[in-house]
Amino acid sequence: MSQDKNKICDPKVFEEIFRTYAKDLKRFLYFKTRDMDVAEDIMQDTFVTLWSNCSNVSYEKVKSYLFTVGNNLFLNMKKREKLMRSHQNEVSSRPTNESPEFIMLEKEFLEKIERTIANLPENDREVFLLNRIEKKKYREIAEKLDISIKTVEKRMHNALKTMKEHIGKV
Amino acid sequence: MKKESLHIENDAYLAQWMSGEISDTELNNFVSEEDARAYFDLREGLHIFEALEQPLERSFTAVQNRIRTKESAKVRKLYLRWAASVAAVAIVFFGLFSMLNQGNTVIHTSIAEQKIITLLDGSEVIVNAKSELSFNKKTWEARREVHLTGEAYFKVKKGSTFSVITENGTIDVLGTQFNVNSNQDYFEVNCYEGRVEVSNLEKNYILNPGKAFRRINGNDQEQWNFGNTTPSWIAGESSFKSVPLKYVILSLEKQYNLKFDSTKIDDNLVFTGSFGHNDIEVALASVFRPMQIHYNIRDDVIVLN
Repeated sequence: MSQDKNKICDPKVFEEIFRTYAKDLKRFLYFKTRDMDVAEDIMQDTFVTLWSNCSNVSYEKVKSYLFTVGNNLFLNMKKREKLMRSHQNEVSSRPTNESPEFIMLEKEFLEKIERTIANLPENDREVFLLNRIEKKKYREIAEKLDISIKTVEKRMHNALKTMKEHIGKV
Repeated sequence: MKKESLHIENDAYLAQWMSGEISDTELNNFVSEEDARAYFDLREGLHIFEALEQPLERSFTAVQNRIRTKESAKVRKLYLRWAASVAAVAIVFFGLFSMLNQGNTVIHTSIAEQKIITLLDGSEVIVNAKSELSFNKKTWEARREVHLTGEAYFKVKKGSTFSVITENGTIDVLGTQFNVNSNQDYFEVNCYEGRVEVSNLEKNYILNPGKAFRRINGNDQEQWNFGNTTPSWIAGESSFKSVPLKYVILSLEKQYNLKFDSTKIDDNLVFTGSFGHNDIEVALASVFRPMQIHYNIRDDVIVLN
C-alpha cells in the first residue's frame, strides 16, 4: 500500500500522469475561465501541487485529485478577483457570454468538432490536421505528400464542408 | 447566376478562405449568408480547438522548473550544509554525465533478441535481432529522428515529421506503421499504414499501404505489393521474397548464433520462403533444402556445398 502511495513521487510516473491528464485538465479549466492563459497557469499550479503532495495521493485516484485541485484553485482565483473588484468598485469585464448555456453549447461544439475530425476521410483529415494543428502551409503539405496544391486545397475544402454539415450552427 | 458560375470555377474556396486568400465578405459570393455565418462559427471553434490541442511540452518544462525552484527553497532552510554538499556532488556528476552523454540513447539487440520500445512521443518500435537504434533526447522535441542499423518495425504516433535515418537512405513519415530493414547494402522498406517517403541520394519514393520498396547493393530498385498486416518476424518467422541467399544467411546468423562458410556456393541465388526462429534444424532445412544445398556442421561453422 505504501509503495502505491509513493508511486507518483517517481519523476517518470509524474511525467506520465502529466501527459495523460494535462490536456483534459486545461480544457476543463478553459471552460471555467474562458481564458487560455489563465487555464494554462492553473493547470501548471495544479501539477506543482500534485508533486508536493505526491506521497499522499494514490495513483488510482490521481485524476479526480487533479480535477478537484484545479477546480479549487479556480474558485480561489474567482474569490480573489471578486474581493479585488469590490474594493475597486469595478464591474465585471466579461458580462455577456458567460451564461452556463453558452458554455455548454461551446463545449458541445468542441466535442462535435473533435468527433467530426476523427470521422473525416483519411486523406482529408491528414491535410486538415497538417494545416490546422501543425500549421503547415498548403504548399508545404503538397510537397510533403507529393500531391498538387490544388488537391491539397480540395481536400481542405471538403474537410471544412463536411465539418460544417455535421456540426451545423452553434 | 454569378454564384453558379463561381461554383464551377472554384471548388476549393473554403480552403482559400481559411488561409486568408479569400476574405469573409468574398465568401458570401460562394455561399448563402446563413452558411457563411456557420463557417465563421466553425472557424471560431477551430481556433479554440487548436489552442487546446497544442503540444504541452513547454508547459511540462515550466512545471518542472517551478517544482525545482520550490524544492530548493524548501530544502535550504532545513539542512543547508548537507544540501549544499549533496548539490555540489550532484552538479559535478551532472556535469560529467552531460559531458559524456549528449542526450543520446542507444538501444542494442543481441542475436535472437527482440525489443519493444516506446519513444518519447508514444510511438512504438519493435527492434529485430542484432540491430541498433539510437535517438537524441535533447533534440527530440524539435526533430523526431532515429538512427537505425538493422531491422525494426515502427508504429508512429501522428505529429510532426518522423525520420528514420539509415546508411542506405532516409524514411520520412507523419504517423503510420512501417518496417525498415537496413543491413549492410540491403535496404527494404514496407509500408503497412499511412504514407511513407523513402529518400536516398538519388531519388525519392512514396509508399502507400501494402507497398514495399527494396534496393540491393546500390542498384535494382524494386517495388512490389504485399498482403500481410504486420511483419512476420514479429511473430517469430523471417520471410523473404526473391532475396539473394547472402542476406538470408546474414539473417540466419542474427537469429541463431551461427557462422556460415558459403565460399563453395553461389550466394547470389535468389531465395523465396521463410524460416522460424525457434528450431535451428527446421530453420536450416527450410532454407537450404529447397535450394538443394547441403550443410554440415564443422567446428561451429556450417559449411555449405
